[in-house]
Amino acid sequence: MKARYASTIFAAGLIFFAGYAALFIAPDEKTMHAIQRIFYFHLPSWIAMFTALAVAFVANVAYLATRRAKWDALGVSASEAAVVCCTIGLATGPLWAKPVWGIWWTWDARLTTTFILWLLYLSYLLLRGLLDDPERKATFSAVFGIFAFLDAPLVYVSNRLWRTQHPQPVIGGGSGSGLDPGMGRVLLFCVIALMGVMIIILLDRYKLEKLRQEFEELRLEYETLNLESASTGKERP
Amino acid sequence: MGTSRATAVLLAKELRLEFRTRELLSATIVFALVVVVLFSFAFDPTAAESRRYGPGLLWISFLFASSLMLNPSFARERLNDTIDALRMSPISPFAILSAKMLANFIFMSVVEVVLVPVFSVLYDVSLAGVAGRLILVLALGTVGLTVTGTVFSAISSHARLRELLLPLLLLPILTPLLIAAVEATASLLVEDPVLDRTWLALLAGFDIVFLTASWLLCDYLMEE
Amino acid sequence: MKNFENLFAAWMVVWAVFFAYEVSIARRLARLRQDIEVLKQQMRER
Repeated sequence: MKARYASTIFAAGLIFFAGYAALFIAPDEKTMHAIQRIFYFHLPSWIAMFTALAVAFVANVAYLATRRAKWDALGVSASEAAVVCCTIGLATGPLWAKPVWGIWWTWDARLTTTFILWLLYLSYLLLRGLLDDPERKATFSAVFGIFAFLDAPLVYVSNRLWRTQHPQPVIGGGSGSGLDPGMGRVLLFCVIALMGVMIIILLDRYKLEKLRQEFEELRLEYETLNLESASTGKERP
Repeated sequence: MGTSRATAVLLAKELRLEFRTRELLSATIVFALVVVVLFSFAFDPTAAESRRYGPGLLWISFLFASSLMLNPSFARERLNDTIDALRMSPISPFAILSAKMLANFIFMSVVEVVLVPVFSVLYDVSLAGVAGRLILVLALGTVGLTVTGTVFSAISSHARLRELLLPLLLLPILTPLLIAAVEATASLLVEDPVLDRTWLALLAGFDIVFLTASWLLCDYLMEE
Repeated sequence: MKNFENLFAAWMVVWAVFFAYEVSIARRLARLRQDIEVLKQQMRER
């Protein structure tokens, strides 16, 4: 019982310490002061999301190549983990934008890309929900997952190009614009912390999916038994 | 039977089927027109603004129309189990898929050929001098649209809520194509039309990526 | 600290999203374990 929750507690601890570091340990930023600290949640969530998406892609390809159920389990777990990290990124973005720009949302390249990826992988999850046959569900969601991953860089590039034509305020003031070492250390810590959180939720979801696969196998076995005894008219000893 | 010959035969079948009744084409064209008209109620199309919103509106109406038009392609097959007949025949899966993609491309092009002149009249946008380049942009955009649309209609034909699922899957994937096509079209509908090459390259890139992906993954799409 | 509320809210958002997701997994896990037990019981009874 305790072991089951150990990883969750550990993840909670990571979040606590990351937040503490971001809020109190990191040095103050010259122009935006306190609100800039959201960056320590926002950027790491992005990095964690892309890692999860890469894992999902590998899992999708591996499933199509090998047809082993564990790859399907990994694929859905990584995709859900990516959606979670994406949600964090999308929620923290506006919290930053409002005090700095006075608007809740801006169509800057990164935020828009994140939004579209969020929708894309939500569609992936919806697709899985609407396909009943387990084999078909795994195959088709793997194909869609591959398409979605191939689309991601195109989404980013198109938004970037579009933004240079229609300039919007940029969340995050450009990647690592003059990061002082104190900030760098806190950022690294937060990246590691959020990656850890992502990996933990991925593994938990993986556990759930493996159990579900076990349940499906058991149910199949049960139904086969039923069919057998129905056709022979005898109870199995 | 070689792949290209098989594709040609299947394509001929698809076209024959549709042009017998023309019901899908007419419904799609009317729907696209409805979208264009609806937009004119939402946004007042005075000359200056129509140039700004025009391209976006045009491509959005194509996207919506295609979301409705692409489903019947596979749904019809499932209704009559002809998809199983196709699968069991010695025709390569890629031939089946490409035939559908080509058929959808042709249907979509017909819709666009009708709609673009109508749009230019309703929104008072001149197409003189840019027709050739506009056709290029439309063609590249339609390729991307029909390639991904056909793949996703193959996927969604097996799922519940397939009419809702197809646009749900398709539209987020198509955002780079939408952005590129709209910007490229917009660059042609201004005072001094210069076709923006970056957007053209993005469109071509999109098409190549997804054509290749469809070719590599077609076996998995067509299986039972 | 200026804008501390937003910053704190961001921290809480990370926590809330993580926590909500873990709770949903835990609940699905519990229900699945229950379903497996029921099924195993049914199989034993045959």
